[in-house]
Parts: sequence; C-alpha cells; structure tokens
Amino acid sequence: MNRREFVRWCQSAGLGVAFPLGWQGHTLARQREPAPYEGPFFVVVNAAGGWDTTYLMDPKGVGGINRLYREGDIQTQGAIRFAPTAKHAVGGMANETFFAKYARELLVLNGLDYSVNNHDPCSRYMATGKLDSLAYPTFAALVAACKGAEYPLAFLTFGNYSSTGNLVPMARIPYLNSLHLLANADGVQGSPRHPYHDAFVLERIEKALADKHQAIQSSPRLPRTERAQNMLYAAQENSKILKRVVPFIPKTIPRERLSVQAEVALAAFKGGVAVSANLTIGQFDSHANNDAEQMKLIPELLAGIDYLLRRAEELQIREKLVVIAQSEMGRTPHYNSGQGKDHWSVGSAMFLGPNLRGNRVIGATDQKQFLIPIDAKTLRLDAKNGMRIRPEHVHAALRRYAGIEHHPFAKQFPLDIPATEQLPTLWMG
Amino acid sequence: MNRESTLFLLCFVRMWWTWPNGAILWTLLVFVGHIDAVPAAEPPMAPICTAIDPWFAEEVWAKVGERVCANCHHAKGDANESRFLLDDTLRDPTALLRNYRAFADMAQKQHEGVPRLLAKATGRVKHGGGAVVKANSTEFRILTRFVERLQGREKPVVEPPSFVPGPYFAQVTPLSPQRLLRRVTLALVGRLPTLAEREAVEKAGYAAVDRILDDLMKEDAFYDRLREAFNDIFLLVGYPGLADDVLSYEHFEKSRRWYQTHDLSHIPEKDRQKARYALADLYRAALLREPYELIAYIVRQERPFTEIVTADYQMMSPYTARGYGMYEELKSHFKNPEDPFEYIPVQLKALTSRSGKTQPTQTGKYPHAGLLTTFQYLRRYPTTVTNRNRLRARMYYQHFLGVDVMTLAPRVTDATAVSKKFDIPTMQASECVVCHKIIDPVAGVFQDYFNEEGHYGPRKEGWFSDMFAPGREGEELPREQKWRALQWLGAATAQDPRFAVAMVEHVYTILMGRRPLLPPQDPDDPYFSARRRAYLEQRQAIQAIAERFAKENFNLKVVFKAWIASPFYRADGLAEVVRHPERRAELDDIGLMHLLTPEQLERKIEAIFGQRWGKMIRSGSDQRLAILYGGIDSREVTQRMTEPSGAMGAIQRMLANDVACQHVAKDFDKPAAQRRLFPEIEIDVLPDGSAENERRIRAAIVYLHALILGQEHDLNHPEVNRTYDLFVGILREAKIRKYDPREQYSCQAEPGKKTTMDPYYTIRAWRAVVTYLLRQDDFLYE
Repeated sequence: MNRREFVRWCQSAGLGVAFPLGWQGHTLARQREPAPYEGPFFVVVNAAGGWDTTYLMDPKGVGGINRLYREGDIQTQGAIRFAPTAKHAVGGMANETFFAKYARELLVLNGLDYSVNNHDPCSRYMATGKLDSLAYPTFAALVAACKGAEYPLAFLTFGNYSSTGNLVPMARIPYLNSLHLLANADGVQGSPRHPYHDAFVLERIEKALADKHQAIQSSPRLPRTERAQNMLYAAQENSKILKRVVPFIPKTIPRERLSVQAEVALAAFKGGVAVSANLTIGQFDSHANNDAEQMKLIPELLAGIDYLLRRAEELQIREKLVVIAQSEMGRTPHYNSGQGKDHWSVGSAMFLGPNLRGNRVIGATDQKQFLIPIDAKTLRLDAKNGMRIRPEHVHAALRRYAGIEHHPFAKQFPLDIPATEQLPTLWMG
Repeated sequence: MNRESTLFLLCFVRMWWTWPNGAILWTLLVFVGHIDAVPAAEPPMAPICTAIDPWFAEEVWAKVGERVCANCHHAKGDANESRFLLDDTLRDPTALLRNYRAFADMAQKQHEGVPRLLAKATGRVKHGGGAVVKANSTEFRILTRFVERLQGREKPVVEPPSFVPGPYFAQVTPLSPQRLLRRVTLALVGRLPTLAEREAVEKAGYAAVDRILDDLMKEDAFYDRLREAFNDIFLLVGYPGLADDVLSYEHFEKSRRWYQTHDLSHIPEKDRQKARYALADLYRAALLREPYELIAYIVRQERPFTEIVTADYQMMSPYTARGYGMYEELKSHFKNPEDPFEYIPVQLKALTSRSGKTQPTQTGKYPHAGLLTTFQYLRRYPTTVTNRNRLRARMYYQHFLGVDVMTLAPRVTDATAVSKKFDIPTMQASECVVCHKIIDPVAGVFQDYFNEEGHYGPRKEGWFSDMFAPGREGEELPREQKWRALQWLGAATAQDPRFAVAMVEHVYTILMGRRPLLPPQDPDDPYFSARRRAYLEQRQAIQAIAERFAKENFNLKVVFKAWIASPFYRADGLAEVVRHPERRAELDDIGLMHLLTPEQLERKIEAIFGQRWGKMIRSGSDQRLAILYGGIDSREVTQRMTEPSGAMGAIQRMLANDVACQHVAKDFDKPAAQRRLFPEIEIDVLPDGSAENERRIRAAIVYLHALILGQEHDLNHPEVNRTYDLFVGILREAKIRKYDPREQYSCQAEPGKKTTMDPYYTIRAWRAVVTYLLRQDDFLYE
C-alpha cells in the first residue's frame, strides 16, 4: 500500500492521520530526508475577545458610535478608510502608520455577519467556517493538513479556537528558547556537541523503532491504537528535522507577545517545518472602558502584524506569507453604562498575501453599523438583492485561494456554499 | 402488546442492540404482511410494516428527528405546546414507535398541497423554530422519501444490508487481569502493582482487581490524582491574581495576608524574608487546593457526591483558616496545626463587611452550597456589569449538568436586526430567548455575588428586571430562599438526573483522557449509522452507570469501579484485523490509548525508576516543558493536547535519552538486590555465544519490557528478539569501533564524583535499550 492509498484508506474509515515522512520504513526515511516546506505560509492573527472595527477599518464617527473622533476626522489611504488613532494609541502602531504602510496590499472585508454574538460559537465559526459543528478543523489546521501534515510543526497555535478535525497534530510552542532544546533532543541539555548516544547507537535505536513500527502495521489493532501509534511514530520521526529551525531562531527575544509568536512561526516557516500558524492576543472583550482598552490593543495588534511582515521580509519569505487578521465579533454601536461596548454580530477581517489584490474594501456597514448585503459576483453593495457574507463564504474562498478546495481533507469537511453565493472575484477583484 | 408493536420492536431490537440476527429480521419483515393501522379517513397508506421498518429509525429518526426536531419538540422543550412531541429513545426504547407515529401523523396532514411535515420543517408554514431544514438538503430528501413511502409512492426495497453489525464488542480483546492491574495502579495512584496485588490477581483474576480498587481508592495518591483530574474539568487553580486574593479585602481585610505579620522571630533574621516567602507559598497552595479538598473529602468519606453542590461546609487547613481569621477557634480540631495541607470541614460565619454590615442569613452562617459558593469557584468564573453572571450560569450547566448551552441552539439569523427590533432581545427575540431563558434565571440565582472580583456583593440596585427572573428551568427562586439561593440551586441540581450523568461523564474523562463521544452531526457522513451506534453504545453505558451511581447514594467510587469494569476501559486490541470501514468506524473511539499528561508521565517515571524526571513538572512556577508537552496552566492554556506534535515528539526523545542516562549506570552501580532495572544481570554478561548468557540477557530484556512497558512476553517473543538484536548489534558494532571505556560523562552513576567504567560497552548498550523502550507507545500512552 503506498502513501496515497493509505491516506485514502484512512479516510474511508474516517481516520485522520499524520504521517512520518518515512512511515514505510526507517531506511527510506534516512535516504530521503524530506525537502523543506517552501510555502505558501498561512498566518491567522486573532484579536480574541472581539475588536472594535469602528476604531480600525470600518470607521463611523457618527451617532455616538465613537467618542474619540468624528466622521470628519476619518482618514483614507488609497481605497481604505480608517479611524484616526494616532492621538490616542497607547504604544504599538497607530492606524495612520499601519495603513500608510500596508493599504496597498490589504484587502478589507467589512460587514461580515458572524450571525451570533457569543465568544465560543463565534470563535469556532470564524476559525472553521462552520457554526454548528464541533468537529470541523480551523482553516489553519486544514491547510496545514492538506499541504504538509508530515512536518513537525505543520500547524502551530498560540491559542484561540484551534480544533484540528483530527487531521494534523497541533503544536504549541509559546517559548522561543524552547526551540533550541527541541531541535537538539539527542544532545545533553540540547547541546549538539554532547550527544547522549554514540551516533551508531542512536542509528540502531531508530532502526529498531522503525522495524517495530513496520512490524505492527499488519497486526490486528483497534483503530484508535493504530492512529496513536502512527502519530507517535510520526511525531518522533518528524521531530528530527526541527534542527532546521535553529539557524533562524533570533538571538534576542522580543518583548511583545505577538512578536514572540511571530518569531516562533517565522523560524518554523523559514526552516521549512511549518505550514500555518494561529497567532493570538486576547483581552479585546471591552465591556468596560472600550476606548481605553481598544486603544491599547488595536495598536498592539497592528504592531504585531507589522513585526511579522518586517521579519518575514528580513527572512526573505514575505512574498510567501498569507496573513488573515480577524476577530470573533465586533462591538456594539453604542456604549454601555461602564463606558464599554458589548458584543456585536457584525464585523470585519483583513487579508494580505500573494495573488491577492490589495487596496480594496469589500462590503460595508451603514451609519448605524448594520450590515449592507453585497452582490456575490460583482462584490458591490446591493442592499436589496445582495447576500450577507458569513464566515463559511470566506472560508470557502480561502480554501480556493489556498488551492485545497478539492483536497480530500477539505471534502471531508464540506462548507456547501451554493454556486450563487461563491465569491469568485474576492481575491483578485 | 399488539401485533404492530411486536413487529416494531423486532425492527428496533435489530437496530439498537446486538444485531446478531439482522438478516433473519429483515426476512421476517418481508413476510409479516399488512397491518391496517391507518385511520380509514386518511389517504391510502402503505402497510405499517414498511412504515416502521428500520429505515425510519436509521434515516428519519437518527438523521432528522433526533438531530433536528427533538431539540425543541419534547415535553420540556421550546415546542412543548405543539402536538408534535417526540421522546428520547435512549432513555425509553419504546419511544421510537411513538415518534414514528408522530412523524407519520405530520406527514399525512397537508398544508396547501404540501405534507405538513415538509412545510413545517422548511418554514413554509408558521413554525416556531423557523426553517430548520433546507430545501434539497439531505434532511429534506429523507423527509420527502418518508412521505412517499407512507403514501406508497415509493416501494420499500428490503435489501440485505451491506453491513450487518454484530455484537458491539465482538472481536475486541480485553486487557489481561495483570495488565489491567498495572493500568489501574498507575492511573489511580501512580505506582506499579505490589507483589501481593499481583499474586492476588494471579489467583482470582479480574475479581481481585475489583477488590484491589477498593484499597487503591483509600490511598492518598488517589486523592492527589482526583484533585488534579477535577482541576482539568473545573480549572479552579487558574483564577486570576494572587491565590490569597480569593479572600476579599471587604470581608477578610485583617486576616487574608496573615503571613506578612506572622511571628517568625524563631528564625534567624537573615533567613526570615525567605521563610516568609515560603510561608506565603504554602498558604497560597493550600488556598488553591481547598475546592478539590472538598471533592477529596466527599469521595474519601463516601459521602453522596451531590455534596459538591449541596455541602453546607467548606474545607480549611490550618494555613487557610488563618486567612479566614478562624485559626484560633479551629486549631484544636487539627491533628497537626502546623500542617498547611491538613483539611477539615468548616462552616463559615455569615460574612461581615468592613463597615460592619453582615450578610443577611437566617442561620448566622455563610450559606455554603458545595463548590458553587467557594470563593475559588466564584473568582475563577467572575462576572461583569454586562455579563450579569451568565458565565457562571453557563459553567454551572457545563460542570454540574453536562450541558454546553453554547451548543444548544446557535441559530443563524441577523443578530443585529434582532437588537434593532426588540427592546430586550434576550427576553423577546425567539433566537435569543432559546438560550437566555435557560441561562438568565440561573445567572440570577448567583445575584449575591455581583462583584467583579468574584467576591460576595449583591447589586446595589437589586437584580436586573430586564432578565428572566432568578430560578431554574421554569421554577422561580422563592422569595424566602433568596438569602440561600445557591443552596436552593444546589439542592435542585442534586435531584436532576443530568447531574449523575454529568459526573459519570467526568469520571469517564478522567479515566479515558477524553470527553465522551458527541452524537454524529453530519447526515451525509457515509458512516453516520456506525458512528451513531458507537455514540449510543457509550450513552447506554453512561446511563446505566449513572443509574447505579444514584442508587448507591452517589458514591463516586462506584463510578470509577463501574467504568474500570466496563469493556470501554478494558478494551485492549482486536482478535483479528478489521477491514470493513463501517466496523472500523464503529470501533473508532474504542480503547484507552491516551497520551499521558506531563503529570502522569512524571509519576510513571517515578513508579518505574524511583525518581521523577523532574523536567516536565518542576517545583516552582517553571512549567514550560509541561506546556510544550500539551499541559495546561488552567488559566490561558486550558485544554490538554491529546495528539503528539513534532515538538512533543522531540520532548519524548529528550525524555527517553535523559531518563535512561540518569538511571542505567546508577542502577548497575548498586548491589543487585537493590536494583530496579537490572536485578538479574551484570555488565560482564556478554552475548558470547553461550546459551546461558543469551538466556540471561533475554531474561533481563523480558524484565525491562514488563517493568517499563507492562508487556508480558516470553524469552523468544518477537519484541524480545528485536530488543535483543538491538543490544547485541550495538555491542558487536562497538567492538569493531574503538570506544572509550568510560560511560558518557553526563550519564555516569555519579557525574563529577566518580568515573563509571564501561569496559564492555554494555552499560551504554543497556542504556540504548532503555531509551528504545521509553520511546514506545506502551510507555508514553496509558
């Protein structure tokens, strides 16, 4: 049975699996160390808790929606209108700087209908494109499974909803320093110069493990056992290529939480051992003191995205990087008694990446922050006959963009978007 | 029982239980003939035999009725006033017949030429739940076909099924009694079986395991495990801030930081500050443990586990009693008043604020209601002005009734339009009401705890009037119960059959390392029926154990024993390879095969090697490696990883290398009688071609396989052969190469003190063997 047949067979039994690169036998694995994964790399940046889009890419300044600026203060960069935050931002990067730098590349989607306004279902919906199932993988996990489940850090996550649909293991590496240790697991205290075993001994251990793994393939096993043994072998075997990450671990560790996550992800991308990363910063749930909270967090988020892009540039993988910035909900168009804003089921997302035409805004909300439907084909506003863009529409488009819409794993988790609701021109306009 | 019912039950039996004679039943259905069960006034219908064939159960009921309609159309549901009421077939197998009749009845009625069943489901006619089935969806096609079958427009084709399920656990082989013993001792008390236990099991088999369980559940280590396991569920150690912040400034201003002024004059001044820090650490650890000590106390004393929501006491240790300002009055009750972790049940007095205002109660006592009123629970799940205790209500449902309200009815509508249309959407808009009428009353029951720090403090303006009134599932909180509202809630919870089910599910999670199965949701899944069967088999076991749990006075030990005795826990392998994809799907979740958590792994290493690795779980706050290995911090990282990533694979390699390095030379350095790993072999026993040496080496390998992996192999088992080949191969190759006669520096018996000589390379070869074994699933998984 070859690898492809095995995948098909696993699927027929509804089994997710992550393969060791040399699952047919250790010798083969040693002969053909896998080529590094070359991209594209997918990064989902989550503003967990619900960002206030009216202080970002969907500015209002009317009807008491915003207290920090008025409609006339709204700024524009290219086709993108945004709220002015330079005067109020606490640290991080103000909208003015961010959009001046990236508007040309950014695709902004406003008037996204989250449909519900509770954190858990919304997070799940935004991450997977499916509201009513707990089984669906996140886009980041799905794309990792389709493009490189065999890589040791194929799907990196730093929090937020991270379900894998049992297609690929999730890797959690919150500490940059740990990468050194993980990359040199056969050296005493992570030192490649002090191996635990002589090289020939280690090779014999690996060979014995490979032989054992091969031997149990034909033995009667429960499906769960089979899956666990395959995954375990894959995890250990594939972990050896983590050494590729070492040259890309920065000597100085950034302080900002999103930057640390970005560094881990970028080192893993550059080392060719990861496909996607789920980055996240929380505390956007500003039920009290909305403006003060959002003015700390939005600039922090934008600075984090900027850091990610700058460092990707330095590592020369910027052109392969796809960035999706999102949140699980928006904030109400009014303030509550605690100067906060509560949950709002309409919001926005931003995209940036190769083969994606920037400097565009799709969709809109009206002056009261209610969604305006759009025409699926033209993407123009069509309040009368248009459709509401929901996460499943975005996910279907993302799958298409990533070229995985026909992959068996994607078909295993269908989104069932009618042809009339596809967004064929979303990415290139 | 009439003929129709008999026939129906035959179909039903085939579906739900053992299915051994499926083909016979199918044949039987064909020959039974017509039964006129349809009123004469109705359109001509097909024979009832066809109407109640298994197709209804497998398609209409399983994929539409149970998944969609039954969410509201049941006696306690949103649509309880409808005539189309459905019953839970899991609790009452005969309900399927009633459900069939309800569907048939709806299918016969017409609305503008469309069967009412379809018109309602698609929202063509007024339907409280709106359009719950999309046109052209699978559900729609199933309902349409059902109508056609009833009308006789589609002839039922009774084809032999492609897959006839057999008994659910057929071909699944159980663990041997000895391996089961090892599994439970490691899982429950983190140690290997004793010789006496092994001998008892040798004599009496599984029966002895059952008796041993009673003893295991008396060991302190079991309660350590219980605390850790329930924290995975409740996550209470993750409350924000310092642990002593759990006691409010408002009510414990003078006592909660007692360690700052505690008399340490007996300690030299230079060491005093350090001692004070240590004191604070112990006090904080003791506070964090309090809620779990309540659980431990209830289980240890075999008190009804319902006390986790009804206990009119909480647990305190000498250290935490100081925090509450109760040490002086309690100290005589402690065996050792200096032990930070000796806990006793205590009733708090009604809380008194700094201004002298005392919490209104009728007893003068704090109205304890088990975990619900512990300050740790309230602080871990706090409220805000706009959340209004809804988080607490949600967690209450999840923790104590096993209901995730967030998955109840996440309907897709224009939520913003709802807020525009209604003044109080949560009370007026049906989309919102469906959840809020469940959540909000319970949120109101928590009303006395409306302090954003998680502490006691009623809302000054009184409870919100734009929420459903405080209460629980249709019953309002009686006015006279308000001062003890959570006790009222706890008492109602203890009476709720879902409580027992939820606790049985918790124990399943603790033992199996994963939540019980959810019902399959995708009607297009080709293995829907197989997955549903797996779900139903598990549900039936949960239900049966829950009933026994309730009958035995909610003794939680009964639940542990029942699960451990069940085939779900004991399933080990298969008698033969299973290839049929449906059967594979049925068995997909069977078997423990649970990746050990960092804590469990450390305990297992200690059980085998006599000492923890110490790198995964360290004393102090550095838990980085544990988090990398899928652990939790109970605050931000709250879900354990159950599948190893490449990063975890690297940690497994590191662990195997390092643990072997720490122990092999050290073990050989001891007298044989004191060794754990190599009691019967010496480093000069070489594979020299003699039968005796080969036997001794093989025996040592068999011993290691048993010790580290729990495998029971004979000397010539293929796995023993493989390990033997590894050992011999290393020595052979080492002989060819020039090697240093000393063991690697870091792996010496006492690094830095004396050099461990390894003249034959056998210490290193045995170290390789141990490394090899430590990387295997029988070690890393439970």
